Amino acid sequence: MLPGRILLAGLRRSASAASSVAQSPKNMCYWDRVIWSSRYFHSASDNTFSEGGSKAKELPDPFALIKDEVSEVTDRLRSMVVAEIPELTSAAGYFFRAGAEGKRTCPTVLLLMASAISTDMSDPIVGLENKPRARHVRVAEITEMIHISSLIHDDVLDNADTRRGMDSLNFTVGKKLAVLAGDFLLFRAFSAAVALDNTEVVSLLATAVNNLVTGELMQLTITPAQRCSMDYYLQKTYYKTAALISNSCKAVAVLSGQTTEVQALAYQYGRHLGIAYQLIDDILDFTGTSASLGKASFSDINQGIVTAPILFAMEEFPQLREIVEQGFDDPSSNVDVVCIESVPFSFFLVLKYLQKSQGIERTRLLAAEHAKLAAVAIDDLPPSEDPVVLSSRQALKDLTQKFLRRTK
Amino acid sequence: MSWRWALARRVAKLAATDGGGGAQAQRLLPTSSAAAGTGLLGRLHMPLASQIRSKVVGCRGAALVSSRWLHDAQYQVRQDGASRAQEQQDPFELVADELSLLANRLRSMVAAELHLQVPKLASAAEYFFKVGAEGKRFRPTVLLLMASALKFPLSESTEGGVLSILADKLRTRQQNIAEITEMIHVASLLHDDVLDDADTRRGVSSLNLIMGNKLSVLAGDFLLSRACVALAALGNTEVVSLMATAVEHLVTGETMQISTSREQRRSMEYYLQKTYYKTASLISNSCKAVAILAGHTAEVSMLAYEYGRNLGLAFQLIDDVLDFTGTSASLGKGSLSDIRHGIITAPMLYAIEEFPQLQEVVDRGFDNPANIEIALDYLRKSRGIERTKELAREHADRAVKAIESLPDSDDEDVLTSRRALIDITERVITRTK
Repeated sequence: MLPGRILLAGLRRSASAASSVAQSPKNMCYWDRVIWSSRYFHSASDNTFSEGGSKAKELPDPFALIKDEVSEVTDRLRSMVVAEIPELTSAAGYFFRAGAEGKRTCPTVLLLMASAISTDMSDPIVGLENKPRARHVRVAEITEMIHISSLIHDDVLDNADTRRGMDSLNFTVGKKLAVLAGDFLLFRAFSAAVALDNTEVVSLLATAVNNLVTGELMQLTITPAQRCSMDYYLQKTYYKTAALISNSCKAVAVLSGQTTEVQALAYQYGRHLGIAYQLIDDILDFTGTSASLGKASFSDINQGIVTAPILFAMEEFPQLREIVEQGFDDPSSNVDVVCIESVPFSFFLVLKYLQKSQGIERTRLLAAEHAKLAAVAIDDLPPSEDPVVLSSRQALKDLTQKFLRRTK
Repeated sequence: MSWRWALARRVAKLAATDGGGGAQAQRLLPTSSAAAGTGLLGRLHMPLASQIRSKVVGCRGAALVSSRWLHDAQYQVRQDGASRAQEQQDPFELVADELSLLANRLRSMVAAELHLQVPKLASAAEYFFKVGAEGKRFRPTVLLLMASALKFPLSESTEGGVLSILADKLRTRQQNIAEITEMIHVASLLHDDVLDDADTRRGVSSLNLIMGNKLSVLAGDFLLSRACVALAALGNTEVVSLMATAVEHLVTGETMQISTSREQRRSMEYYLQKTYYKTASLISNSCKAVAILAGHTAEVSMLAYEYGRNLGLAFQLIDDVLDFTGTSASLGKGSLSDIRHGIITAPMLYAIEEFPQLQEVVDRGFDNPANIEIALDYLRKSRGIERTKELAREHADRAVKAIESLPDSDDEDVLTSRRALIDITERVITRTK
């Protein structure tokens, strides 16, 4: 009786796949989730096995799997940042407004991770207010708040005018209010973390916050020698980009009551994903355009930040190293610098060397390496039969590939 | 508000004189100049404060024991060395050594963390934790005294027993609250002084002169993140909540200050709310946190909170008065920095109540020094200063009452600390700078 119903439901759903409204996992009963996620799973395998060649490259969108749950996260975030003063509320909620949310990678990864490591096979059919899920969602919210808080402060530090294709917060309300809004978000996040009543989770998040600041510090006060060091760069990248997502993934595992091995795997996934993401970001800073990036391209090099492509290029061309060590001169400060349309000549030289070198390619290879390690971490998770778990794991792996291929 | 500018100036001057802390330690231990260990004290042999410090800054275990031992030692000196006459003990002296301990811990934490990567920042942040001017030690002093004032009675015979170790642990945690409070306070100073480009013509903060916006923001972020880590380590949900609330209040207060509308400027209620957020909230919530860590009831914790709140408000109100009067009793000799920055404080608000014409003057703004003179004139004619002082006295009295309402205790330490806390309220009211 039951299997027949499922089959029918499944057929009906795939027939109306194009127009069906995606339900969020937490509102579904167990069997619905099976069908719903199997659709994702089958479409993934269909693409891989059928028609070979070009079709195989088309991945289902891992973001789509839990798009609605992530939307709810953003909605809730808007209400979580209400302050006593309207100016503070609007400043803090600036990046949670409709249309301003960005890709929301952090919550997506975390919610997928929560599903991927879940061992609760006895997920009851009545599980609407799925308590453990609610706590994971909280971690996603907290992480997003911390992430936004660091973005806001970064923009103040970099004097950035744009972010996500619109005016940055400091451009809109001034540096001071932006700094205050960032602090506010950080401590709201911290309060929410404390409410989870798990000291290890709070520790992990506090460590992540600490790492974010350390990374920023490393960048701000870099010496010429450190500028040329790949190790320093990778360490800084870990702190600035990967630390938050890796610690949050681990926090999700801790909240689920998983073993230390699973916690470590979750952590590794986050870490490698974050580093891969940043490496591609560095490439895009050279190859992307302002329109597609939503922010100025060449912004790294314009601020004198030496990233992986340049570091690799320096290994091939020692002359490049000299230019870099002298520092990227600010035209206004050094009258000896030759300028072409107010851009220092050294800038063009650097680009020239980069083009001649294998810098971009090698960075891409390194990113692929990290993406593979992230996928391996997922594969090493304890085996599971649950379709929801399996499709979430597949989505996480697809995410790594998606990052590698992005153009913006 | 002026004490904040004063602090900034002091910091900017870079008190290179490190003698402050050492001198105080010397005064505390009169026998230190004599052969260590002999003299008035009999029961306890006391090595030099510096030896204590060096022993303690290293090992955590030693810190646990030494902190309480040090703390008790301070009181021993009081008991044996104090004359029979009612000598008004300087409340700051009571905890001076413990404070040095805290200051050193904070400095070494900052130095160790930052020095690895960021020497420039380490030296910048060090300014704040340098042993120096009294103003900077206000908060930790109050918190340490509050911790002592709330001690549960411990029978002397259990020295070295389990209870004693627990008391040590508690003391260390309460010291951590003091450290966290100081970190949050300094971070808020740094962030408050971030300037928008439009502000530079009005009056450049000296903090920014040293470090520039970027470093200010980052140093503040660093301190806040360290405070987060330290709070997480305490493992007490309620305490973390309180401190997080305090930070929120700081941010809210500062936002209120920079986004004050015209109507709000006239309102005494708005001003007092902002003052609570900016000045009193941190100290009141930390006092409450200290009580909670000790395991006190909600009533006692509220009393601690009330003390901190009223003390903070009294402090700020007198600060506002001093900004006008300075060290002299007469008006206009103070630094007038509040009014120059367009910040309307309690005395002026009271004066406006008496002289509505003053409102127009205030609305015109104070870029023109002549306008300042006119406003001061009105202030002189009004009872603004007196009423502010009266309000401050009211808050001070409430703070005293909170201490007196604490549960009775026979412990000498406890009574001395409570007297010291009361003494502090008096000093806050009667200070001239």
